[in-house]
Amino acid sequence: MKAFPIWLILGATLTFLIGPFLIVIFAGLSAGEALAFPPQGLSLKWYAKVFTVESFRASFALSMFLAVFGTLAALILGIPAAYALNRYKLPGAETIRTVVAAPIIVPGIIVGLSLLRYFVVPLNVSILVALFVTHTALVLPYAVRVVSSSLNNLRADMEEAAVILGCTRLQAFIKVVLPNIRGGILAAFILGFVASFNEVPASLFLSGPGVRTLPIDMLSYMEITFDPSVAALSALLAFMSVGIVFLAERLLGFSRYV
Amino acid sequence: MSDAFVSLTDLTLSYGKTVAVPRLNLDIKKGELIALLGPSGCGKTTTMRAIAGLLTPSSGRITIDGRDVTRVPANKRGIGLVFQSYALFPHLSAFENVAFGLRLQNLGRDEIQAKTQAGMSTVGLEGFEDRKPAEMSGGQQQRLALARSLVMEPKVLLLDEPLSNLDARLRLEMRNELQRVQKETGITMVFVTHDQAEALALADRIVLMKGGKIEQLGTPAQLYAEPSTVFAADFMGFENIFATKGDTLVSDKGSLPLQFQSTAEQLAWRPSGVAVGHGPYTGRVVASSFAGGHREYVIDSALGPVKADASIDISEVVIGQELAFDLPQSTARALTK
Amino acid sequence: MFLNRTEGLPLALPAALFTFLVFLVPVGILLSVAFQNVGGGFSLQGYVDFFAQPLNRTVFLRTLKLGVLVAAVSAVIGYAAAFCIVSLPATSRGRVFGLIVLPLMISPVARTYAWIVILGRSGIVNDVIVGLGLSRLPIRFLFTETAVFIGLLQLFLPLMIISLVSAMENVPKDAVPAARVLGANWMQVFFRVILPLTKEGLVVGGTLVFTGALTAYITPAILGGSKVLMLETLLYQKVNVSNDFVSASVIAMILIVMSFSANLLLKRIATAKR
Repeated sequence: MKAFPIWLILGATLTFLIGPFLIVIFAGLSAGEALAFPPQGLSLKWYAKVFTVESFRASFALSMFLAVFGTLAALILGIPAAYALNRYKLPGAETIRTVVAAPIIVPGIIVGLSLLRYFVVPLNVSILVALFVTHTALVLPYAVRVVSSSLNNLRADMEEAAVILGCTRLQAFIKVVLPNIRGGILAAFILGFVASFNEVPASLFLSGPGVRTLPIDMLSYMEITFDPSVAALSALLAFMSVGIVFLAERLLGFSRYV
Repeated sequence: MSDAFVSLTDLTLSYGKTVAVPRLNLDIKKGELIALLGPSGCGKTTTMRAIAGLLTPSSGRITIDGRDVTRVPANKRGIGLVFQSYALFPHLSAFENVAFGLRLQNLGRDEIQAKTQAGMSTVGLEGFEDRKPAEMSGGQQQRLALARSLVMEPKVLLLDEPLSNLDARLRLEMRNELQRVQKETGITMVFVTHDQAEALALADRIVLMKGGKIEQLGTPAQLYAEPSTVFAADFMGFENIFATKGDTLVSDKGSLPLQFQSTAEQLAWRPSGVAVGHGPYTGRVVASSFAGGHREYVIDSALGPVKADASIDISEVVIGQELAFDLPQSTARALTK
Repeated sequence: MFLNRTEGLPLALPAALFTFLVFLVPVGILLSVAFQNVGGGFSLQGYVDFFAQPLNRTVFLRTLKLGVLVAAVSAVIGYAAAFCIVSLPATSRGRVFGLIVLPLMISPVARTYAWIVILGRSGIVNDVIVGLGLSRLPIRFLFTETAVFIGLLQLFLPLMIISLVSAMENVPKDAVPAARVLGANWMQVFFRVILPLTKEGLVVGGTLVFTGALTAYITPAILGGSKVLMLETLLYQKVNVSNDFVSASVIAMILIVMSFSANLLLKRIATAKR
């Protein structure tokens, strides 16, 4: 094949994948009142407005909280699990693996509904707790998978060496395993953060007065108002995600772990 | 028995339901260099891991320096182990790798510094303190792993296939290095290998293992000259092994009359022990290769292929020609089953 | 030391128990709802009732159709794109691959929202159509199956391309030139050489895209609305509008069975070779 058709195909594909998104960025720069492209004049007013909408601020804070602490909780549960699944011949290892991976297979909307009906309501749990639990469970499979793959690359005899030199099993884990899977853990955190922050279906049913994740808030804002502020917000969020991933790639070659 | 420094008594080792080593008994003297020799799956590595405490025996006893350590965890046993892969810590510098175990002992800074330095110079790694393991050659990594174990002043140093990851030249160098370190420190060493030449060259005594059992135990000279079983003979380079039936040698290919009296069940000859160019037997040469000091022939005889080394003084016999040979009593090794 | 079986359990159990209790148990209860009659006994009446309604059947078939269609079209585009990517030199290959993966990091809400700007009544496409005089009035694109299809395709195409690129990287470099030398035309090269060698990647990508499209909520919600319902949006309606939990339970079961069998198929094929 010649170079020309290659770039033509790739150009078309990339335009289809990324082009719409560039349009969103520009639509947010509109000086007019309605969503349109090309924008009617340029201004940053919609980008500025995003920061003044009270509900966006609250839901951003909630989404941030869920993404950070839900992912941390998933790592706290997931790292030991990944370690045990990798280093021990556990009885029922296959079952444990399947159970932990289940949240990937079960559609999110079902998860949210089930938790609302059979967890939140009967046990009188707050929506916030339910959201936290859901996001933790959704991120857990990523945490286990990414940490597992980085443990796979770490020879088990290194821990044996540490034990023979006098470490307890725990010391060997802290002094030898952790420093060597740091990159994998950070990669898992970033993946989990992005997945949690962008999550919609599972959080759909789990919203109450004043408790709503940012993407859900954006969806309901769009139903009522058709101004370019959602475009501006979308653009800002995308910059955030891409920025984090870009930084991670620069710092530790993030893509090695994914 | 009294001078045993490490002693394994009725040691049974298993993985789940599979018994890898059944009721092993072995005594190792202080300062000895012992080789556990055998093909893969013979239980040599399993035995070594049990001595190190990485594997709990299902029954039996391990004592080291008079102390029963059977139930003592690996981190309290005072054993050193150099892994086949070296198992160096990639995130730590060479210095920190060597200092790793010392730091766990709550020693003073100066003492750690001094011992680590001394350890690194013992193996000739001065000046490499700040290197990461990945920035060192295979030979240097091997030395570093050795130093990391030695600074702990272990009662016993175990080495798992210590030379297998090195090229031929480094292997010889490292072999001498290991012998030197052993002489200097007087440490008891047990190393695992599948290479008989390595075991013969290094060890004071060789434990030849097969199927989890000790097949033969002895000095390199004993094992080389007097293997007592078919397996040991085969492992030690007796490539021509035939069963005897009365006055004949038999194989599944055929038989030949024996030229002397023997009550042994099996008789074995090294290729160098087969007389070539004269003798009562003949066969067709099917392979011939020059090996420096001698020429290696494969002769197709009534017993099937016989491997024979001939002096280069004898003129070459071309493939396809007949060659006379003898299986003399003087070089025969009598074997039990 | 590492063969001790039970010692590792306390490390793995918290994660498994957590997922089991807060995740599988509630989902299990929801799924069981449709199998119960009023008295609490076993019954399939919920399923019978669900499929008796024409709307439900339409939505079910539409979801299946869109899932298959999105998977098929993304396979076609994916092969073209993946083939181009692997024939690039290493440095630009990495960059282009990065750009393909990039959208996956962006919120699906934002990615779907873009299509409102493009396909809306005063969107770009309509501007062009009206501007060129092809139509006097703007054409309705939003809330059509086409819009949902385009949105889903854009959302999941990267997954297909990633799978196919990694499959193609394992195709021996000389396979294509070798086939060409032996006289194969490009069609034959594709069907006789590339396709058999990248079958696994196609299955992986196809499953990911199919289950993704099946269980997507945002795209049908924004681009389909209540005019083009898919199973997920239908489920939301059943619960929020008609309080019909039996139907919700049926839909949940359909979705789980479909994505579970797709995943099982994937696992089967991915491990068959090893």
